[in-house]
Amino acid sequence: MTWLDRQGFLGPNSVNVLTAMTVGVVGLSGGGSPIVQQLAHAGAGGFVAVDHDRATKSNRNRLVGMTPWDGLLRRRKATMAKRLIRRVNPRARVVALPTRWEDATDALLTCDLILGAVDTFKARAELEAFCRAHLIAYCDVGMDVHDLPEGGYLVGGQVALSLPGDLCLWCMGLLTEERLAQEASRYGRAGPAPQVVWTNGLLASMAVNLVMQLFTPWSGLPIRSTCIELDANRSSLGPSHKVRCLEGVVCRHYPLIEAGSPLFDLRALPKH
Amino acid sequence: MRIGFRTPLGFFDTVRRDLVRRHPFAAERVGFVLAGATLAGQDIVLLARSYEPVDDGDYLPDPRVGAMLGPDAIRKAMQAALRTGSGLFHIHMHDHAGPPFFSKVDRRESRRFVPSFFNANPKVPHGVLLLSADASRGQVWLSPRAEPQEFAMISWPGRPQRGLLV
Repeated sequence: MTWLDRQGFLGPNSVNVLTAMTVGVVGLSGGGSPIVQQLAHAGAGGFVAVDHDRATKSNRNRLVGMTPWDGLLRRRKATMAKRLIRRVNPRARVVALPTRWEDATDALLTCDLILGAVDTFKARAELEAFCRAHLIAYCDVGMDVHDLPEGGYLVGGQVALSLPGDLCLWCMGLLTEERLAQEASRYGRAGPAPQVVWTNGLLASMAVNLVMQLFTPWSGLPIRSTCIELDANRSSLGPSHKVRCLEGVVCRHYPLIEAGSPLFDLRALPKH
Repeated sequence: MRIGFRTPLGFFDTVRRDLVRRHPFAAERVGFVLAGATLAGQDIVLLARSYEPVDDGDYLPDPRVGAMLGPDAIRKAMQAALRTGSGLFHIHMHDHAGPPFFSKVDRRESRRFVPSFFNANPKVPHGVLLLSADASRGQVWLSPRAEPQEFAMISWPGRPQRGLLV
């Protein structure tokens, strides 16, 4: 009997698959912390946890596992993620990197899937481009709060699974030149983005659901790139209508023929 | 230095669909995979870019082997590798389930032709891939004179590469 017996419906080999998998999580605050916690509970064996930031007291409304002391001590979020995972699964392989993800690419290249819970469209675009260049599945989690013209707020978000060889975030319309330009024009003027634990939790659960379906496909349904949208005002979570309309579309943003590093040269490597 | 091989979603399904097609006279089909490469720390990760089937007319009749390729087949594959800056991997399939293993003939023949792939592109590894109905295996050459390394760390979205480093 193992601690994963209650999820035996995932398949007879699921424990081995989950133990073997290595998941990268970039951004370990409100979006990333519930993801690492759930994946640790689900039995994921390897983690590369990346966040350059330190905790402050304002993180405590959403950073899962955070204590008041973490804020006072300004503990690194990567260290807190490692602690969160190890409390659930002391045998998990965890590489906690308190750095920007661009400086953690060697470790991220070893991952079977990367989950991004980053704040900007620019970071999303760059992280997905990295994943596509190296044929790594990417799952993006994002939450936002918008002012409504008639008053009140719209709380929403999305989880997008971007699989090499299938639709990407650009195909799905999550990334557009217009959005990137708008973001760039606001650079330095935007205040802290509103974030709350319950919507982040919903999105994190859906992201983990997609990861588990990808690695331990219990439903028998084919796994494709997809986008799940959250409308917290209506308490609804469902597949994006736009992505449904893209059935049969081939991604033209990341040609597979460009996979790999253009600078790779065997002759420059140390003697092998 | 360890070797991993990663493919996009459904890549080997496409390859298998091509390889199981009956040929007018050859007993089996073969093809080529173009692959990019990247370093992950000290390890090399090979990345499948495209599958290049062999045209029906580029097989030669030879009852001693399952598939004998004519010079045009190799030339076209090497041109594709040169044009795209890719590594070239000869691929064929053994018709059974479970882990496949290279036969003596496979090993002997691949030692004859793979080193010549470096003429098309000396910057990236080249090799051979072998599929079964549900598994895969590969051999990679890191230089034309080196002994090939065997690898079974072949992954795709949803299939772990079983921890190259982590």
